[in-house]
Amino acid sequence: MVRILENQLLNEKVYVQQIAPGLEVFVLPKKGYVKKYVTYAANFGSIDSRFIVDGEDKELSVPDGVAHFLEHKLFEDEDGNVFDRFARLGASSNAFTNFNNTAYLFSCTDYFTECLDLLLDFVQTPYFTTESVEKEKGIIEQEIRMYEDNPQWRIFFNLLAAMYQEHPVRVDIAGTVESIRQIDKDVLYKCYRTFYHPSNMALFVVGDVDPGRVLAQVEANLSKRNYKELGEIKRIYPGEPAEIGKDFVRQELVVSQPLLNLGFKERDLGYQGERLFKKELATNLMLDVVFGSSSKLYNELYEEGLIDDEFDAGYVAEQDYGHTILGGETVDPDRLLERLTAGIKEAQAKGISEKQFEHYRRKAMGEFLKSFNSLEFIANNFLAYHFRQINFFTYLDVLQSVTLADVNSRLHQHLVQDSMVRSLILPKKG
Amino acid sequence: MPTFMRSRLANGINLFIHPTVKFKTILVQLIFHRALKEDDVTESSLLPSVLQRGSGNYPNRMAIANRLEELYGTELMSGVTKKGERLMVTFTLDLVHDQYLPGESSLLKKALEVLSDVVTNPVLAGESFKEDYVSQEKEQHEKLIKGLINDKIAYSVERCLQHMCEHEPFGVFKFGSVERLKAIDGPALYHYYRDFLRESRADLHISGDVDAAAVSALAQQVFGFERGEEAALAATTVQKKMGDVRYVKEELDVSQGKLVLGYRTRVTYADDDYFPLLVYNGILGSFPHSKLFQNVREKASLAYYTYSRLEKHKGLMLISSGIEVNNYEKALEIINQQLSDMTQGDFTKEDLENTRSGLRNQFLVEEDSQGSVINRVLDGMMVGREENTAELLNRLAAVTREDVARVAANVYLDTVYFLTKRGGA
Repeated sequence: MVRILENQLLNEKVYVQQIAPGLEVFVLPKKGYVKKYVTYAANFGSIDSRFIVDGEDKELSVPDGVAHFLEHKLFEDEDGNVFDRFARLGASSNAFTNFNNTAYLFSCTDYFTECLDLLLDFVQTPYFTTESVEKEKGIIEQEIRMYEDNPQWRIFFNLLAAMYQEHPVRVDIAGTVESIRQIDKDVLYKCYRTFYHPSNMALFVVGDVDPGRVLAQVEANLSKRNYKELGEIKRIYPGEPAEIGKDFVRQELVVSQPLLNLGFKERDLGYQGERLFKKELATNLMLDVVFGSSSKLYNELYEEGLIDDEFDAGYVAEQDYGHTILGGETVDPDRLLERLTAGIKEAQAKGISEKQFEHYRRKAMGEFLKSFNSLEFIANNFLAYHFRQINFFTYLDVLQSVTLADVNSRLHQHLVQDSMVRSLILPKKG
Repeated sequence: MPTFMRSRLANGINLFIHPTVKFKTILVQLIFHRALKEDDVTESSLLPSVLQRGSGNYPNRMAIANRLEELYGTELMSGVTKKGERLMVTFTLDLVHDQYLPGESSLLKKALEVLSDVVTNPVLAGESFKEDYVSQEKEQHEKLIKGLINDKIAYSVERCLQHMCEHEPFGVFKFGSVERLKAIDGPALYHYYRDFLRESRADLHISGDVDAAAVSALAQQVFGFERGEEAALAATTVQKKMGDVRYVKEELDVSQGKLVLGYRTRVTYADDDYFPLLVYNGILGSFPHSKLFQNVREKASLAYYTYSRLEKHKGLMLISSGIEVNNYEKALEIINQQLSDMTQGDFTKEDLENTRSGLRNQFLVEEDSQGSVINRVLDGMMVGREENTAELLNRLAAVTREDVARVAANVYLDTVYFLTKRGGA
């Protein structure tokens, strides 16, 4: 059964069908676009590091960075390198792993049908050898080293490691040079068998394509593979205390000036779907009112030379964790901290007005509409939200359902002092 | 056949209208061309930030931001980029097309008025910009110049270019220098600004679902300010004489080494040999199927990223790679081997065809991005190449193995730059 999700204001439609054995497939036809973009994602990310493999009864705890390692290795199969086969079709392929998902993707102009089959085939055909796993370690080690020199990346992961005490979101997505050395082909196969079943995956196709044909092609590809039904995936996430682990973390790097990030740990957790979406949108609206580029606070800090125009605030909403992170480069992190803390108190004392609320909601609406130019944005977001039981097309409706009271309540309940972590990068001396 | 309409406003600004129904937005770019010079670049890269601090109708940053948010989150951005030996000073407006906004009309007009106010109607104190706007933006700009080092990949590429083009305008850093910045004040910058508006070549691009006649009239109305004679722009110099390879090592307290190699190609976008060069660069290093990725990364496991790219107006090629510092010799040897394989014609038919297909894909998808469409026209105008996608694809299709060999023979190594660990290899 094909369902159609429609958004009239956007003037876009998505065709959705669940294809046996349980793959959710989305097709969004974009008339006039030359490019076709497809992403095939597994609901498996760096936080899925403890689980029970189907048919076993003991819990498996895998080395940090295994989801990302697996992503790298799927690009190799018995006949060699998958990149080469996309290249023959003039297509470009890639993949990414985040905390929650692993996504494989390609974009092409010609040979769409061949590319789609190739994507489905290579993701569904794991081929890991001891030799190729060992070879990949050098490459991923250099990827990790590259991020070790990246101040934005370091301040972010340092902050999460301080904020969370148990939850694996505190661990770097790629793992460490030491943890990836423990990865072997057996653990990759175990992860693959547990998480890469079509019913734990989703496919998004966007471009000038015919939805009926795409759905039929996916069905034909999957039907020949004799999948058994997948039992329940038993993921184990440790209980995370409501309290932050540490309120301060710092590191020295070769940078021209200090960086300060403030993190606020979410306490209101445990839901998915529309309720989660609404919390996310309300929180981001609140952050925009308090810290956005037209806010009084932002402009004062800018004029005092304490921030630059890269200063930013954003909120992340997942079922089991959530946090706000804000900040940027600054000449004087102590003074900036003082001013931000006072700014938050002042905002809380005054509250957000109806006028401010409507103003920022209108801005959010415009930004959402604009982003629908990008095929990558549409596909990547649709799937990321889908895995949280959210239909991304409902963005504007959910945004409309957010009330001033919701936004004010987020201001008071989320930005609280004892859930705040400071992460600091200081210039290395000498 | 071009896919845009070109005309000229009364004051000499070139107007380019790119009508398309594909997008939900209208993209506007106002681009000023400056000759890339050490004694100009600091001023021209600082100027947009000062202008964005306030204008006659929106006297401070907050008022501008507020107005843009009212216009459904319209973005107004500015930036500078090097294209050959020109500095492009660009103001960009990105706004929702009002057909998606019930009850809204003339959003484009309102947005253009903000842009025009920011660019042509600054906040003044006599014959000067407002002094605290200038002093604050000088501080921000100084941080921007010094902040290059925060991104080690960008830093190492820039350092390689600075060494390589030490005695050419291209070696100038696009944000200028702290030294020159110190000498700038409100009156001086205002004086500079008046000449800048009057004499810089300026292009106004508008892309989206617009009526060309109506938009031309609108542009004339909003951007009708007075200008003078345009300053001449010198052609980019292309160095063709080979000398000794220059080796530069720099030490910093880093975790990963960055190896950057700068080459002269003797060919620019103005030459028809640019297309064989594009294929050459593709086989060598701009794709995952390319020699660099296959040999440096996949076979030798030395790097996570390793690629080559062209600077099409200056006739340069750069190779960039992040490696363990102890692997410097090994990586350099493998890279040199790939270059020499290219010169020997040691690549397969498949390498050639895969690269051709990949480049074809890149040309085609440019049409799905308003920014890319504008950029292609801008590049073309600089060298008198006005070809549409079909014509570019024909050029690509005509490239033969012999063509690639011919351009390969002309590529030579100029500078090897290595950012290494303190006290390291």
